Amino acid sequence: MQPSNREMPGMASSLNGISHTSAAAAAHVALRELQNGHGLQAPFDHAGGGVGHDDFLDQMLSNLPSAWAELGNPRPAWVPPSDAPTAGQRLFSAGRAGESAEEMQYDESLLLANRLRQHQISGGSSPTGEALMLQLSRSGQQQMLSGLLPLPLTLGSAGSADSPNPTGGDGLYNGFGGSLQLAESVNQQSFHHPQSAPMPGQNFGAAPPAAGAGQTPAASTLASASAGGGSGPPRQRVRARRGQATDPHSIAERLRRERIAERMKALQELVPNANKTDKASMLDEIIDYVKFLQLQVKVLSMSRLGGAAAVAPLVADMASEGQSGAGRDGANGGAAGSSDSLTVTEHQVAKMMEEDMGSAMQYLQGKGLCLMPISLASAISSATAGHLGHGLVPGVLPPPNPSGDAPSSPGVSALTAQSTMAAEATKDGVAASKSLSSK
Amino acid sequence: MESKSSTTGNRDNPNRNLHGSKTMMASHFLRALFRIQQTSTSSSSAGRSRRIRRAAYASMAYSAGTRRAWSRALLRKLRSRARLRFPRRLSRAATPQRRDMDQAQVLRKLVPGGPSMDDCKLLEETADYIRFLTTQVRLMQTVMDSISS
Repeated sequence: MQPSNREMPGMASSLNGISHTSAAAAAHVALRELQNGHGLQAPFDHAGGGVGHDDFLDQMLSNLPSAWAELGNPRPAWVPPSDAPTAGQRLFSAGRAGESAEEMQYDESLLLANRLRQHQISGGSSPTGEALMLQLSRSGQQQMLSGLLPLPLTLGSAGSADSPNPTGGDGLYNGFGGSLQLAESVNQQSFHHPQSAPMPGQNFGAAPPAAGAGQTPAASTLASASAGGGSGPPRQRVRARRGQATDPHSIAERLRRERIAERMKALQELVPNANKTDKASMLDEIIDYVKFLQLQVKVLSMSRLGGAAAVAPLVADMASEGQSGAGRDGANGGAAGSSDSLTVTEHQVAKMMEEDMGSAMQYLQGKGLCLMPISLASAISSATAGHLGHGLVPGVLPPPNPSGDAPSSPGVSALTAQSTMAAEATKDGVAASKSLSSK
Repeated sequence: MESKSSTTGNRDNPNRNLHGSKTMMASHFLRALFRIQQTSTSSSSAGRSRRIRRAAYASMAYSAGTRRAWSRALLRKLRSRARLRFPRRLSRAATPQRRDMDQAQVLRKLVPGGPSMDDCKLLEETADYIRFLTTQVRLMQTVMDSISS
């Protein structure tokens, strides 16, 4: 991003350097001449044109092939649908009178062409224009640029006439500054057509295609990226959504940026004071919040020392803790005093069950326990002990006879693993309920 | 199934409520507290607070499981009995320039397992870490409230 930022003003300044200061004024002059032209507006209302255009057309056409052949481009499709000629003629002659004026208009059109590109392709996002400028600037020759840029201009206007992209044409008109909005839209169209005609001829005559190699990739990118041009050089692989450069780097970049944006949005929900739109300040907030939370853990651990003696009843209250903290999760309540080792085992089993059921089973059997479906367990529990607490999740029962039972005896005893049971645990779920049967 | 969802549920669950993890966290932490109280009644308060803090992070890491890079790194750190150190002594006089350049670095130092993550994964892990941290803090506050009342 930064290089393009640097180059963009550079390009603009170089363009300005070319133009004499009154570029805008020259454009105005040209427009006024157009407007003053008699009957100019009438023929341009329809794309049929009038008579007497042929000679001008021939001029333009003769200029073009040489120019574009040097570029290595096929004949551009913008051979205009004839709505330019008369005004173009006038402009052309007027321009010929003073070449400097032409150049001024020309550079003005360059700047306008940039804006056109932006609006035409991306609906106004400047990075597109910058990327374009980057690629064009790589060719290193301003004349090349000036020769190339009017192409999209005319492509756009041609597109507005007959391509399925009327918005391109609208973009064309919207993108221009106030200067062009002076003229009527049709005049604008005509304004650009003749401009593109003499320009290539002049400039390519002036600057032999030394950078022909540089032009071609730029031109092909232009053509491929232009929204309006139907035919043309073969497109690059994927048509980027915004018409950006289609090389894999930018696509990967875009994907990466999207992913990061997603994560940032998720983080925004978590972190309070997340109304910052700036990414940097958002990151600052996140960092501060993490530091704050870690500090809270530290402070809370220090202040817990006074009431340490009262923790024991808390362990018994574990169920209520869990429920208040998490909602009903089927936490096992009950006699925690004797069940310290039990709950440890429970959680170990829970952990092991995540990884590997087989090892969990072995572990249980090693302790003289086994797993069984809840339905079976509840049936057994209700049959033997008789005080089964919650429906699905039998509580921890006081062990009447903790002596080891044969592991193979069915339904002997199993283990409550509280974390294996969800609130939605169905009776079919494999779970364990602790019940010791004295049978 | 629930045990799985307690760890992967954070990914699947759009609410990100840590349903299953909360009970695990609570029970683990409480038992650890109990153990600490039983075993070290006469030791220094600094040692005890350190142990309690360690127990807090341990219960966080256990309830998060091994699905997350940060919990794996935290478990590793805990198992190796290394001292739990967190770089919170950074000078608050952060120049604006330092902001942009070091933000990712600072975050990497805060989140366990940070240095070995790329930016995208770092943000994801930070979000999960924050979720668990807030749950743990809330848990500790609840415990303290119920102790003192």
